[in-house]
Amino acid sequence: MTQEFDSTPTIIGDFLNFNRNLVELSTKVTVPHEIKIGSCPYDVVYEEDRIRMLHYKPLTSKQIQTPLVISYAIVNRFHIFDIDPKKSWIRHLLENGFDVYMIDWGTPTNMDKFLGFDDYVNDYLDNCVEHACDQSSVDKVSLQGYCTGGTLATVYSALHPEKVKNLVATAPVIDGWKDTTVVSNIAKSFDVEKMVDAIGNMPPEFMYYCFSILKPFEQGIEKYLKFFQNMDNEKYVDSFLKIEKWLAETPPIPGELFKEWIKGIYQDNLLIQNKMFIGNQHVSLKNITMPVFTQVAVGDHLVSPECSMPLHYAVGTDDKNLEIYPTGHVGMIASSFSQKNVLPKLVDWLKERS
Amino acid sequence: MKPEYEDMFDYYKHTSMFWNDMIAMMSSKPSALMAVGPLRNFTENIKKISQELIESNQEIVDFNTQLVEYYQHLGETWVGAQKKVMAKISEVPQDAESIEAYKRIWIDIFENDFTQMFDNKAFSENYNKLVSTELQLLKRWNTIMDVMLKSANMPTKEEINEIYKELFSLKKQIKKINPKKKTRRGKNDPGV
Repeated sequence: MTQEFDSTPTIIGDFLNFNRNLVELSTKVTVPHEIKIGSCPYDVVYEEDRIRMLHYKPLTSKQIQTPLVISYAIVNRFHIFDIDPKKSWIRHLLENGFDVYMIDWGTPTNMDKFLGFDDYVNDYLDNCVEHACDQSSVDKVSLQGYCTGGTLATVYSALHPEKVKNLVATAPVIDGWKDTTVVSNIAKSFDVEKMVDAIGNMPPEFMYYCFSILKPFEQGIEKYLKFFQNMDNEKYVDSFLKIEKWLAETPPIPGELFKEWIKGIYQDNLLIQNKMFIGNQHVSLKNITMPVFTQVAVGDHLVSPECSMPLHYAVGTDDKNLEIYPTGHVGMIASSFSQKNVLPKLVDWLKERS
Repeated sequence: MKPEYEDMFDYYKHTSMFWNDMIAMMSSKPSALMAVGPLRNFTENIKKISQELIESNQEIVDFNTQLVEYYQHLGETWVGAQKKVMAKISEVPQDAESIEAYKRIWIDIFENDFTQMFDNKAFSENYNKLVSTELQLLKRWNTIMDVMLKSANMPTKEEINEIYKELFSLKKQIKKINPKKKTRRGKNDPGV
């Protein structure tokens, strides 16, 4: 038996609208590579090799004394923290009186392929923290790390506890063996030695492959179908293009750092077992004696909660807080949800301790 | 168990290497007579290129096998997911309003099945073998390029790597001597 299909006029109408929107789209929106991401003004206050430290201009007359240094992930760029004024992590913190610094790890070239954990933690991150301390005339900073930047911040806090007043770890990569994501499934048997030997730095194209297997049909097909359906919605298109631009700007990862990362975190899982050595220094999470705030997302498909949560139980402080949110990896930092649920809790916690 | 074709490859590789070396030795004098200009280096180094090409044969076969398996994983998952979609959409009425429901079913089933596949150990093992073989081929390509660059009297990748390493270590030494070398950029450099 065949069913009647009597909705042809609706489909034709939709098709005509789609065509009209498609033709008008390019006249309505900015060319993607000309889109400016970020709404909060900043000064570049420190530079070393490829890295930069940004200092955001205050939005309140009175500021909290302890500066907050954000160690962004080594994957993608820091812009996601301030991609849309209404969903801006940075703006929310500035409006609450925080003095915010952001580390931009920059774009490594082939010459930087020998940079490892030691250079990132004991050199770059340490110099940025020192600089923020100098500028604010304090001895310690609050340190927030996101994703792989959370791992760097955690390692730094374990090696230099005297310089960190509070540690905020947002979806940090800590226990590689417990990570249940498809990324960890690939990473666990990846021949990283050969890749570094043959290519040098970890190329962005490989990261794009990893992104594409995370949610291949939602992110690879549905997202674009929605885009075409909403082409006449200027705000939607603007937000869509900003995110797309952010996703497309993935820098390479220095070969040595990537090798240490894959072997040390995903394959041998040294960090959580307190067996990691960086620059001949032993990294023990028990040395993290400052207050620690760990934020994880249940729907995180890049760093699973099981991978981040062990930090909460491994640190050597009793002043610790673990928050689990029903959102995703990016949703935790750049969404209406994070503005309403994630940031207020963090702001209260940090204010009490700053 | 060793695959049957491997014996054939061993034989082919051994024979090719033998004649490659023999020809290089036997023709050294005539080639010296013919290659009198800047390409002389290249003629002398061409044996290395042949060696790399012979060595890469096994890897090309492995790469193809792993690539076929990779697409097999994708193909089987696709067919399986499509079957599930077909079974499910028979319950959905065929009208314009249901197009959205059909799309949702299709995406959910495909997303779920493909995530399961990417999460599968067999997939990741084959994928990583595939990447590893590709990298091995890339290393051979780099060696061939190095021979050609050397012949053109240009720095090879290996030589550039040595310079990078030297620069990296020099930079570290300078930082140790002058640890406070920081470039402060003041507030006249607006970021946004």
